[in-house]
Amino acid sequence: MTVDKKIIMQTKDLTIRFGGLVAVNNFNMKIEEGELIGIIGPNGAGKTTIFNMITGVYVPTSGSVDLEGKSIVGQHVSHITQKGIARTFQNIRLFKDLSVIDNIKLAAHYRTNYSLFDSIIRNKKFKNEEERIYNEAMEILKIFGLEKKSTLLAKNLPYGEQRRLEIARALATRPKLLLLDEPAAGMNPKETNDLTELIRWVRDHFKISILLIEHDMKLVMNVCERIYVVDHGEEIAMGLPKEIQNNKKVIEAYLGTSDEEAL
Amino acid sequence: MNIEYFSHLMIMSGIFIILAVSLNLINGICGELSLGHAGFWAIGAYVGGSYGVFYALPLPNFLNLAISCGLGFVAASLAGLIIGVPCLRLRGDYLAIATLGFGEIIRIIIMNMDVVGGPRGLTGIPKWSNLPLIYFFVVITIIFMANLVRGTHGRAIISIREDEIAADCMGIYTFKYKTLAFVLGAGFAGIAGALYAHYQEFISPNSFSFMWSVIILIMVILGGLGSITGSIVGAVILTILPELLRFMGETISEWRMLIYSVLLIVLMLLRPSGIFGKKEFNVLALFSKKEAQ
Repeated sequence: MTVDKKIIMQTKDLTIRFGGLVAVNNFNMKIEEGELIGIIGPNGAGKTTIFNMITGVYVPTSGSVDLEGKSIVGQHVSHITQKGIARTFQNIRLFKDLSVIDNIKLAAHYRTNYSLFDSIIRNKKFKNEEERIYNEAMEILKIFGLEKKSTLLAKNLPYGEQRRLEIARALATRPKLLLLDEPAAGMNPKETNDLTELIRWVRDHFKISILLIEHDMKLVMNVCERIYVVDHGEEIAMGLPKEIQNNKKVIEAYLGTSDEEAL
Repeated sequence: MNIEYFSHLMIMSGIFIILAVSLNLINGICGELSLGHAGFWAIGAYVGGSYGVFYALPLPNFLNLAISCGLGFVAASLAGLIIGVPCLRLRGDYLAIATLGFGEIIRIIIMNMDVVGGPRGLTGIPKWSNLPLIYFFVVITIIFMANLVRGTHGRAIISIREDEIAADCMGIYTFKYKTLAFVLGAGFAGIAGALYAHYQEFISPNSFSFMWSVIILIMVILGGLGSITGSIVGAVILTILPELLRFMGETISEWRMLIYSVLLIVLMLLRPSGIFGKKEFNVLALFSKKEAQ
């Protein structure tokens, strides 16, 4: 590996077992600063499980996850987020009954600097901090074109905008690495195209690394610089989009071998 | 209806407003089902009452009441912390059962404490509370809760109700805020307990049975889980309604508990999310709108 770029996140021999089932086995990956990387694989291959281990939702049975050279295994999800890994979810998990702006404000919660006492007596410190958070949140909403809907409840947004709000909310935690779990799920071709642009733009504008899981091959091949292919919890291929498209193992994983078809 | 009786109803409404609003923080705003609220109420009442009986300082009544409420708050919130830390790792029904158990344990411990009278109850508590003093504490409680939910700590508590996993992934240490909601909710129930002890002058373990936890919960649900104004309205309705039915002629009076139950069922059928749902009724906003016109 060349030394010119810093490694943001690295997993070493990441393994997790659920009882007798090895869901992910010896998974190794490296993400450099500013890289846009994809993980693909058939359903049930263990992609989301990898996400859950990186973000701390699951604790791996063995192996490690390093963020900027320091292991984050075993730390609480919230602390990992505070250190710079944010994510979105396969099935949208917004705070549905809260307003759009409150969703964003919550992402700034850990950077909010006033005590419970300040918030009860509503002193100057409280007001200044709230104003700062409000302005920050509005700025992010403007970027995503949601500023006019800031007071709507999140559940009342159309589907595509909910997806965008979720990305906006993840970015509001100021991550170094953003994980997107099937961002294009349920989107029509036009929305997917817009999303492709958005993902690339977010990476350049916020200067972060992005790791995404996606089934929409057009999006993955368009946007990702490197792709990991996972099947049955193991990495079967890694490389540039063009290499992956012609990889024999990958085609087998998706379509099956001729032997299996005969059966 | 004479004035004394009316003032009694007002006082009981006030005490139940504090109880309902504090339980709303745990059950409605944080979304964790707790069934042990009467336990915290009892701790506040017994700690506040014991201060009145054994340690009362030669101070004006209102100062003594404030000390009593402070002690009740501290004791109940400490109990909340001790119960909350192990229990809040449980979810949903399991948490409900665990808190129910703890509520009963508190009552049974008190029942076996001879210092505070055991099953005979604690007598001779000085009458320090009165209508204005109780409503002073009611107002403090409401302001506290209303300001809490509009700050970042309150938002963090609400996010737990909305989606705990998402909240964790937004950098919110949800366990801390769950515990905070539980401890504060228990603490304010303790204040209600102290006020109650200094109003009734007599308390016994059976005044804080499991049934009261359920009735407070009904107040919160009736008003709308998560709505502070809803809890206030729920508490007032459920305190006054059974009494009102008493005065509506002999037949109604005789059947009043039945009518009361049927009214509750009908209301829940018509408005399953409670009178207010999750919304707040904002008096100030109403005024400012009128000014704008």
